[in-house]
Amino acid sequence: MIKGIYYNGKTSEKKDALLYCKHNGLIGFADIDTIETPFNSVEISSRIGNTPRYLNFPDGSQFETDDNDAIDEIVNTFSTSVFKGVIHKLESAKLFVLFSVISMVVFGWLFIQYGIPFVSKQIADRLPEEASQYMGQGVLDIMDEQWFSETALSKKKQAELQQLFNNLKTNINGSHYYKLVFRRGGSIGANAFALPDGTIVFTDELINLTDNNLDIAAIMLHEIGHLKNRHSLRATIQQSGLAIFIIAVTGDVSTSSSIITAIPFMLVKSGFSQNMETEADSYALSYMQKYNIDPEHFANMMEKLQASFSDEYHNCLKKSKKPDAAIQCINLAVKQNKLNDKEQSKELLDYFSTHPGAKERINRFRMAR
Amino acid sequence: MESSHIGNGTNINNQPFEFTGKALEYFSIWIVNVVLTILTLGIYSAWAKVRTNQYFYGNTLLDGASFRYTAKPIQILKGRVIAFILFMIYYFASMANPVIASIIFLFILLLVPAFVVMSMAFRLRNSMYRNVRFNFDKKFTRAYKVFFIPAIFVGGYLLLASQIEYLQSADTETNTLVGIIIAVLLLGIVLMFPWWEYIITRFKAVHAKYGDADFTFSATMKNYYGMYIKAYLLSIVIFGIIGAIIIGLMGSFTSDTDMSSGAHSAAVPLIIILLVFPAYLWLFAYFQTKRTNLIFGNLNIAGHKVKSELKTGYMLYLYVTNTLAIMLTLGLLMPWAKIRTARYRASVTSLDVIGNLSQFVATQEQYQSAMGEEIGEMFDMDLGF
Repeated sequence: MIKGIYYNGKTSEKKDALLYCKHNGLIGFADIDTIETPFNSVEISSRIGNTPRYLNFPDGSQFETDDNDAIDEIVNTFSTSVFKGVIHKLESAKLFVLFSVISMVVFGWLFIQYGIPFVSKQIADRLPEEASQYMGQGVLDIMDEQWFSETALSKKKQAELQQLFNNLKTNINGSHYYKLVFRRGGSIGANAFALPDGTIVFTDELINLTDNNLDIAAIMLHEIGHLKNRHSLRATIQQSGLAIFIIAVTGDVSTSSSIITAIPFMLVKSGFSQNMETEADSYALSYMQKYNIDPEHFANMMEKLQASFSDEYHNCLKKSKKPDAAIQCINLAVKQNKLNDKEQSKELLDYFSTHPGAKERINRFRMAR
Repeated sequence: MESSHIGNGTNINNQPFEFTGKALEYFSIWIVNVVLTILTLGIYSAWAKVRTNQYFYGNTLLDGASFRYTAKPIQILKGRVIAFILFMIYYFASMANPVIASIIFLFILLLVPAFVVMSMAFRLRNSMYRNVRFNFDKKFTRAYKVFFIPAIFVGGYLLLASQIEYLQSADTETNTLVGIIIAVLLLGIVLMFPWWEYIITRFKAVHAKYGDADFTFSATMKNYYGMYIKAYLLSIVIFGIIGAIIIGLMGSFTSDTDMSSGAHSAAVPLIIILLVFPAYLWLFAYFQTKRTNLIFGNLNIAGHKVKSELKTGYMLYLYVTNTLAIMLTLGLLMPWAKIRTARYRASVTSLDVIGNLSQFVATQEQYQSAMGEEIGEMFDMDLGF
């Protein structure tokens, strides 16, 4: 006898009832005046945790009970279905749940770390060149509107660097549409960008950090490395891949935490650009080795770029009025940075920055000399 | 259980909702859902949704009886396939051609009222309590009126504001005037939102049914304006104070020239994080709490009244702790967060029952498409309450 509640199917009136199941599979009620129903005509809900079970009868009536084990016994005796209760068995198998958790974590990590980047690369490599050029349209306009202003570099300097850029390009296949432009970076400071349409932007602030054009060439090669590897296209595809992955994992969860769930993925995502930086570095390094440009130029420039965000550099710039102040100040700041580095480890900061592991990258070029 | 008598001798008793779900139990269900969803490349997600809903419904009790979710996974799968195809078309269109993408987007926007009706109908007709189904009257024309008449107003306002901007000239006086007109127009839009939300919520509420009995909605337009104005004023006061603090601090920084500027430029974002973020979170919790209480606290059916007594403080505590827990475990504590939220919400919701709940008459089951709901979810629309 199974205790539960009986509903007649016509109204919401509830009645306490006792259900029985005979050896021949006939189901009926001890205290309610109905005919007995064979097991096959009764619809029994599947078990979910310890939520109540429902038995629905052909006349529209329903029996609701908490006694899951007793219902399971009836189902196990009379059901011929192969799948009876299989999901609930999985859900209540502690070992399977534990296995699921571990495989989820491992799989999720592998997928984000290797799966999505791999697939993105495959897709990006197969898309026609027009795809990334199309994507790049308007990017520079937006950046101009947001941050940049017109360059203050002399015509002579610009022409020199354009010549240098064209010389680099002669050794690179499919680089005909790459374009070099200069902008004053403003709040962005010393930086360089490779836009998907083949435009490479250098800020005045970066150019002013050095008087050796080969230093600039090293950064140009790094940016060309980004273009060659179609990084912006890949990053876009990766992000949409991540989005689909997140929907797959949290698909059945409609809590108000869509922003929250995005945060850990953002942390992981900065790892993507880390890989991409390394790839762009590799490109620059192999070019430099092939055409006899000292890799030290890249290492130099990286140190300067890092130091260009320090307070020492900015304070020095503010105080000094001389035209070549930038170079003096940056050299000072680089020295200061090296001293500081010995004192404190910056591992944590590196993890969150978009240009991470600067020290590692510098060492790589120094070792390659 | 409280019990009291009103004039004519009918017994009113306050029946609390109760949620009996357990975090660990739900965690097992959730993780199996996730694993099977991945192994089946997303197909199992329809079954996952049904099992999740069945778990939460089944653990919600009122007057000793449970709620039941009766949707069939196949229905949801069909809806999801359609939604997914639509989403992919939209996604690739937006990458290839923004014009086509915006046309598709506009088309989907035009269908929102229909999705809302279909979604409400699907959800309610698949919700059952005491072997009697909930229901939703599919009034499509009415839905379009409720959603789009205010939208036309808002759209017209925005259009007007954007046109007026072109009138700007070198003359400062005209510019001030233009600025004032734009500000007034924008204020008009802001003041229209409470009305819009009120008529949409009322539309959803009064077309809902349990068995053959209609729900009624006793909140008034005044309640909605009251809630919004309070929230607006609170935001102005709170962010005004924070703004004053930040400006004050920045002033003291610039006048102080001895110290290096680096420490200061780092301090300002820190202050913003320490002040603005909690203030924003509190306001969010406050508004969600008041809104939920206003919606559910004004639902009535056949004389029985729903009571909703969420507290801002506790909701804020739940948001903060849930957020931290989910972030720090990369999502693994999401089931726990969902369970405790459901438990709290049930614990502050109750039904003032007049007599008993036996008199509701069951209606015929009708087939409902899950398409509206699934498309809505895919495009991240807020279709329910």
